[in-house]
Amino acid sequence: MRQARPYSAMFAGGVSARTGPHALPLARIKKIMKRSAGDSSVVDGGGGGGGGARMISGEAPVVFSKACELFIAELTRRAWAATLEGKRRTVHKEDVAAAVQNTDLFDFLVDVVTADLGDDHTDYK
Amino acid sequence: MADHHGGHHADGHRRQQQLQGEAADQAAAEIIKEQDRLLPIANVGRIMKQILPPNAKISKEAKETMQECVSEFISFVTGEASDKCHKEKRKTVNGDDVCWAFGALGFDDYVDPMRRYLNKYRELEGDRAAAAATSRSGAGAAAGPDHPSSSSSAAAATAGHFMFNAMDRSTDSSRQF
Repeated sequence: MRQARPYSAMFAGGVSARTGPHALPLARIKKIMKRSAGDSSVVDGGGGGGGGARMISGEAPVVFSKACELFIAELTRRAWAATLEGKRRTVHKEDVAAAVQNTDLFDFLVDVVTADLGDDHTDYK
Repeated sequence: MADHHGGHHADGHRRQQQLQGEAADQAAAEIIKEQDRLLPIANVGRIMKQILPPNAKISKEAKETMQECVSEFISFVTGEASDKCHKEKRKTVNGDDVCWAFGALGFDDYVDPMRRYLNKYRELEGDRAAAAATSRSGAGAAAGPDHPSSSSSAAAATAGHFMFNAMDRSTDSSRQF
């Protein structure tokens, strides 16, 4: 059985939405993945095997296109809870930051949202 | 207009224009790089809106923060999946590695739904490939590389090229700014 899966088949019958069957563009997801898969990093001389460079199979971005929807949904729901606590109906970035800080699972995002708040020089409130 | 500048000022002016031109080029390159670092704000905003009640609004800054968080999520999980491949001396990060990484990083609720999604995707791809093969065989023999890895590489290259073009057009049309 062939391992390869031709992507062009996905568009047989026409593209029903702007990004086809996925809500997020696969090519962009793949680019983001390549950055942290060691695609352009220095080869790891100390490690065994093929070093640091990694290739990304075609199916991996497909998994992420769905996983990112779940992730955005979960973080948005928690941000909305913070919005409601503030008796507002507009989600601010501070609400997203609060959602991150209140959830252990999202610890890896603390630097991202903190930097975002720290860089803000304009107060829109 | 040119008469208003002496030789020295003209030289300075030209040099300033040159620097501004170079700065503009660099800024443009950085903008492009920046855009590639994040998923499109329109797609992210749309998904957020689907989750919230109709009367909810989302500030642009909140969408931008979510863009950053999603990219970090992809990088975080991909890094874990890539490490696993490295330890197992494999060169390609595949769907199973990504699903495994969700569990390893505490996203336990994601593992089963993503495995099911991946399996469904593989089934559909198999069906589409079979249909395409049938269609091709009707028009004549489709000669492909014999070796599986060569086949994968060739198909991946083709897919990458096609997807890049298609997705870029889609992305442009959905971009708001």
